[in-house]
Amino acid sequence: MEAPDHTRAGPRPQDGSLLQKPVDRRRALTVLAGAAVAGVQALSACRPLTTLSEEEREVKLLAWREYIKGNYRFMTEAERAETIARLERQALLQRGTAVTIQSTGAQPGVVFGYAFNISKCKGFRSCVEACINENNLDRNADTQYIRIFEMEEGVIDLDDGDATFQHEVPAEGHFYMGTQCFQCADPPCVKVCPVGATWQEPDGITVIDYDWCIGCRYCMAACPYWARRFNWSAPNVPVPEVNTNQHYLGNRARKTGVVEKCTFCIHRTRQGRLPACAEACPTGARVFGNLLDPDSEIRWVLEHKRVFRLKEDLKTEPRFWYYTD
Amino acid sequence: MPHPGGRTLIPALMAAGLLTGCVANPRSTGETHDRWAPDSGATAIASAGRNDSLEPGALGTVRAVRVEGWMGPGGRPFEVAVRTRDLESGHARRFGTITLRTTLRSPSPDLVQYPCASCHLGRTVAMKDTRIGDAHQNIQPRHPALLGSVCSTCHSPDAVEMLALRTGERVGLDYGYRLCAQCHFAQADDWAAGAHGKRLDGWQGRRVVMGCSDCHDPHRPAPLPRIPFRAPTILRSGGH
Repeated sequence: MEAPDHTRAGPRPQDGSLLQKPVDRRRALTVLAGAAVAGVQALSACRPLTTLSEEEREVKLLAWREYIKGNYRFMTEAERAETIARLERQALLQRGTAVTIQSTGAQPGVVFGYAFNISKCKGFRSCVEACINENNLDRNADTQYIRIFEMEEGVIDLDDGDATFQHEVPAEGHFYMGTQCFQCADPPCVKVCPVGATWQEPDGITVIDYDWCIGCRYCMAACPYWARRFNWSAPNVPVPEVNTNQHYLGNRARKTGVVEKCTFCIHRTRQGRLPACAEACPTGARVFGNLLDPDSEIRWVLEHKRVFRLKEDLKTEPRFWYYTD
Repeated sequence: MPHPGGRTLIPALMAAGLLTGCVANPRSTGETHDRWAPDSGATAIASAGRNDSLEPGALGTVRAVRVEGWMGPGGRPFEVAVRTRDLESGHARRFGTITLRTTLRSPSPDLVQYPCASCHLGRTVAMKDTRIGDAHQNIQPRHPALLGSVCSTCHSPDAVEMLALRTGERVGLDYGYRLCAQCHFAQADDWAAGAHGKRLDGWQGRRVVMGCSDCHDPHRPAPLPRIPFRAPTILRSGGH
């Protein structure tokens, strides 16, 4: 019998040898890590798996499978469905919340854009409140994606702008200007990520796979708008306040040591709804829509109003414009 | 009555005083601006849950009429939300001291506005510009200042519930945008195009916008100052 030619490309012969099986790096790590965990369990004095209750075992199994899953961007539809089922189950078992996590993709022919009317904003921060509630932002750290700057009329200088004002608004002689993630068309935060945990979706939203982020915070350093937030501890949202309408790339539960950011409420906007901030604005200062639709409101604003973008000289091409009446 | 499908949006819309009980009116005359007339041209949208319809859910419970005289971006027609008697409307919430649901007795289930006769039963209400403080002390008109800020500047003298345009035409309160646009024509154009005012629910699908008096108190249109939501505790860092 002729000896098998292992130098040839294509499927290798199945002769039963472990070393000859096609094994990619991920699978090898999975097997090795699994063996290590089993070994530690067997040798240590902690409770062996067999003594755990059914639910405890399920929790550990879910955590393990979540730990070894791949990057969302490269998952198949089936893998996405599996991880979402696991995450929903985890939320129920560990946090007692029945959440629905979407994996809704970008609509074809849609690129989102935002316009902010600095003549209209009165600094009420209703958008901030809506954002916190909608996106399950950490109540302990008081994470906020949106900042509203109060500035004296006549000059736009964010260095002198005050984002911490706490007095009756609108204040005489001042105007208000909100910032958040601008979903840049050329996002520096994406370029610097060493692990590919953040990327730009076809509809222009820059998203993060929280389970792939290693927490290096390069993206935070790269962002010229301070649009990203880091979770120094596990985010805390009281169960009754959890928004159960979630998206894998958006407002689902984050964990310690990962970065998060505004996603234009991806779980809402991909279903045709407005971002929570635009919906909550009591002064109508926020316009949101599809930049590729020539008959959209956002396009009308861009074509008929005097608009500008923040730090345009950096060529990040924000998809967020400011305009005046 | 089917329950509206929108989940998180509904409280927001209720706050805006726009969400209705979705009363589908089988009668529709569709030919006059008169809000006295039963359901004149109002489109009662069947209640559709978010999950079983592509239509953004909350719009399923909003009554809206097509805006006349203006087109949206791209020359597309659009609608303005109207109020029904079933909800404590923005108008009532801001200007009334009574709870409409319990004390307002509408003589006809088809009426979607609040005729004076609902409270002033069987009487003719005489409007006197000089005696606004006698009964409705909560209404202190400061606008339009240049035109005198009196009732008859905007209201029809013989029917307070009707608005009198400068052309002599009378329109119902839900067509207030036609009255406002007589002076604020630039704002009206922005409103029609989407640069002023608010669109309800979604950026996609039916375009229903809020009317002028849904945000502005017509008697005192500037937004009232208030204490904002709490300031951020994490300050910016890194020189950005």
